[in-house]
Amino acid sequence: MTIDDFSIVGKRYPRIDAQDKVRGRTPYLDDLKFPGMLYGKVLRSPYPHARILRIDTSRAEKLLGVRAVATVEDTPKNKFGSYRSGVRDELIFALDKVRYVGDEVAAVAAIDQEIAREALGLIQVDYEELPAVFSMDEAMRSDAPRIHEEADRNIASHTITVRGNPEQGFEEADLVLEDRFETPLQIHGYLEPVGCIAAWDSAGKLTIWAPSQNPSWSRIIFSEALNVPMGRLRVVQTFIGGAFGGKLEQKLYLVAAILAKKARKPVKMVNARNEEFQTSMPRVPMTIHLKMGIKKDGALTAKEHRIFADNGAYTKYASAVVNLGTYRVDGLYRLKNIRNENYLIYTNKLPTSAFRGFGNPQITFAMESMLDQLAEGIGMDPLEIRLRNAAQPGDITAHGFKYTSCGLKDCLKQVAEAIEWKSKRNRRGSRRGVGVSATSHVCGNRSFFPLFDGATAYVRIDEGGKVKVITGEVEVGQGLLTAYATIVAEELGVSTSEVTVEAPDTDIAPFGLGTWGDRGTFIGGGAVKLAATDARKQLLDRAAEMLEADVSDLECREGSIFVKGSPEKNLPFAEVASTAVYTKGGATILGKGTFIPNSEIADQTRYGNISGTYAFGAQAAEVEVDEETGEVRLVSVVAAHDVGRALNRTTTEAQIEGATVQGIGYALFEEVEFEDGVMLNPGFLNYRVPTALDIPPITSLLVETIDPAGPFGAKGVAEPAMTPTAPAIANAIYNAVGIRVKSLPITPEKVLEGLQKKKA
Amino acid sequence: MPGTDDMKIKIRLNVNGFPYETEVEPRRTLLELLREDFELTGTKEGCGLGECGTCTVLLDGRPIKSCITLAVQANGREVTTIEGLEKPDGTLHPIQQAFIDHGAIQCGFCTPGMVLTAKALLDENPRPTEIEVRRAIAGNLCRCTGYQKIVEAILATAEKEGGAG
Repeated sequence: MTIDDFSIVGKRYPRIDAQDKVRGRTPYLDDLKFPGMLYGKVLRSPYPHARILRIDTSRAEKLLGVRAVATVEDTPKNKFGSYRSGVRDELIFALDKVRYVGDEVAAVAAIDQEIAREALGLIQVDYEELPAVFSMDEAMRSDAPRIHEEADRNIASHTITVRGNPEQGFEEADLVLEDRFETPLQIHGYLEPVGCIAAWDSAGKLTIWAPSQNPSWSRIIFSEALNVPMGRLRVVQTFIGGAFGGKLEQKLYLVAAILAKKARKPVKMVNARNEEFQTSMPRVPMTIHLKMGIKKDGALTAKEHRIFADNGAYTKYASAVVNLGTYRVDGLYRLKNIRNENYLIYTNKLPTSAFRGFGNPQITFAMESMLDQLAEGIGMDPLEIRLRNAAQPGDITAHGFKYTSCGLKDCLKQVAEAIEWKSKRNRRGSRRGVGVSATSHVCGNRSFFPLFDGATAYVRIDEGGKVKVITGEVEVGQGLLTAYATIVAEELGVSTSEVTVEAPDTDIAPFGLGTWGDRGTFIGGGAVKLAATDARKQLLDRAAEMLEADVSDLECREGSIFVKGSPEKNLPFAEVASTAVYTKGGATILGKGTFIPNSEIADQTRYGNISGTYAFGAQAAEVEVDEETGEVRLVSVVAAHDVGRALNRTTTEAQIEGATVQGIGYALFEEVEFEDGVMLNPGFLNYRVPTALDIPPITSLLVETIDPAGPFGAKGVAEPAMTPTAPAIANAIYNAVGIRVKSLPITPEKVLEGLQKKKA
Repeated sequence: MPGTDDMKIKIRLNVNGFPYETEVEPRRTLLELLREDFELTGTKEGCGLGECGTCTVLLDGRPIKSCITLAVQANGREVTTIEGLEKPDGTLHPIQQAFIDHGAIQCGFCTPGMVLTAKALLDENPRPTEIEVRRAIAGNLCRCTGYQKIVEAILATAEKEGGAG
């Protein structure tokens, strides 16, 4: 089908949630209030590593307006962890010792926030400071203090994966390079702080309202951590003011649940911004040792990496980030001989976890930087080397990923053309340069959640002809509601204004894995399309009777049901819907759809086709480097992404632009800094996220490969669009002034240092 | 807070065209007054320190950060929040419409502050250049959009309205 055959798919139209958002009517968590609601605050550890000798809450309990004070004594003492990690190293509050500055020690619920804060100051905690470790090198020494008793040398996980014959691959190479790359701790910086409201009903059922990226899945972990059966636990997703991987399970929700139980009142908790910085679960910093081999003709022969990933004090999703996230890059090019070794290391800092790209931005920065080094070494154009090795449709990668649609080469060619690669690449002495980078990503990950892959949706048509989509999938700001409304509207021939999409409530919605891994459009959208098709069939069965026509002769378009070839024979959609309901005992039409992608759980060696399809992209950046100050000015970024099919061109571009800007921040500004385990820049003043003044023109190019399994051919784009930005910028800087900065962010200091070294 | 009623100060202000008279503690912020007392929750709190811009409202037409402005500072003045921007019949302000049409909204948390900052800019400078737009909104962070579509929406409004906003 071409775009002209669709009524809205592939066009530009407003988001269905935009009206409320632009009027300030969208209720986010902190806008909600319940009768009798209390406000909770957490007492956090001021030490990076210390034994807790004594906690005295008596003075806090006596403060006027305090309703509950909780410590580990009020919680079940069964350790829990993120679902995937298999590591259970956390309790709701610290028991015996604290492991980072920010660790939860106690909490207070009071009639207002100020009293809660005041009460925190009245809790007396006696600590005995312990030696702490902040760098991975220190942490791995045999005499280093142990952060968790069971983790020798503070190694939380260690994995080795080998494919083909890396030794032979390196022998066959004409050039082998080895280098070390470093990536920083990047904060999500979503503007809505994490918050929640927890309330228990008289039957002992707990409800948590929260901006959760994964309500159904969270429930499993909350149930475990709180010792509450799943049937007595309900999670309701509230509108999310940005997430980017940061709003998976949050401990704050569990703290609120404990306080609410003790106070027998609903309890609201919202992080202060410094708590967001100090205790959220930011991007995993990595030290990457990379070795690659290449032949003179540009064929890559082998790749080996050894990654040290900073887990922080507890294991959230960092184990998955390092083990499931960093090997995707091996399928970007036709690599057969691979050795990957990953260490995840505990340090006395905040726990790190999932952030847009999920390990891919880290390893891609290293590999795409090295590709340019290799290209120079063999005297080949960096674009050429990528095109020479690029994955193609039909490939099965070294790790078993089966590529169906794959527009990688097109993406590379399109960004090169748009940035005027040929003419700009060889400018001498201009201090301007261009660089390119590519990326590949999953669209869902069968290995990430062991119970199942897939999604289910319901499409309900009521007697007024209004259509409602019910799923367990989550709008985090990316436009998922609009994507689902588009799929349904296209299928049923109605306007998106007739369609609403419910936020997940675990009591009502099907089990949804939630928003991560670029799965929302491809997998969730697949389910929505099947559900819409089912609803449509039920509607047309009724219409066929009413119009005395054969179902196969009917079509849904423009809000009516027509007999094909006889446009005068038609009925309004709403009339058919009401007749359907009134003649079936009030049963609203309920279409059901389950989409299970063609994916498999990877085996013990992590081999397997873990995703139903894969996303690809390439970006090119042009920079100008000031050799006096070391400052890098971005001139432009061009981003071409294989999106399968853009369901809505505007929202698809918007994802690419926003992700690219996060990539720009990652490349040039963003880094959390510590001194003795204390964060030095826990706020937007000193941790610099890009502002409107930092951003060059970004051109989004949509490469449409029409994926055979995606809804109308669509795939994901939100995550991969941030991955190639930093390496494209780093490569452009090298092209401009001949220095290669191997650690992010590329600050003016690092550029100046590089320039000085080059002169010397 | 219990026991501090005697410290309250009486203020009068106009919010979105409606007169209000109330008593506030001296340290109460304008953001708290708007969100908690008047239940105008369209104004958001992103950081509480004046660093992110989500709490932006207009005070006598000028954008200010309500989280670092005291409620008493609004005494005798006019406050416009996002709820006050649409016409009484619900018609959106041209800037609001442009934000929708240009896809300038994602999670929506920065949107109210961003829209109000843009309105103040266009009121003062009906035909801003792109760099003037970028400068004006540089104090309003957005982590979703990358700003490009926001800038486009503001420039398109200026182009279309020529300052009528």
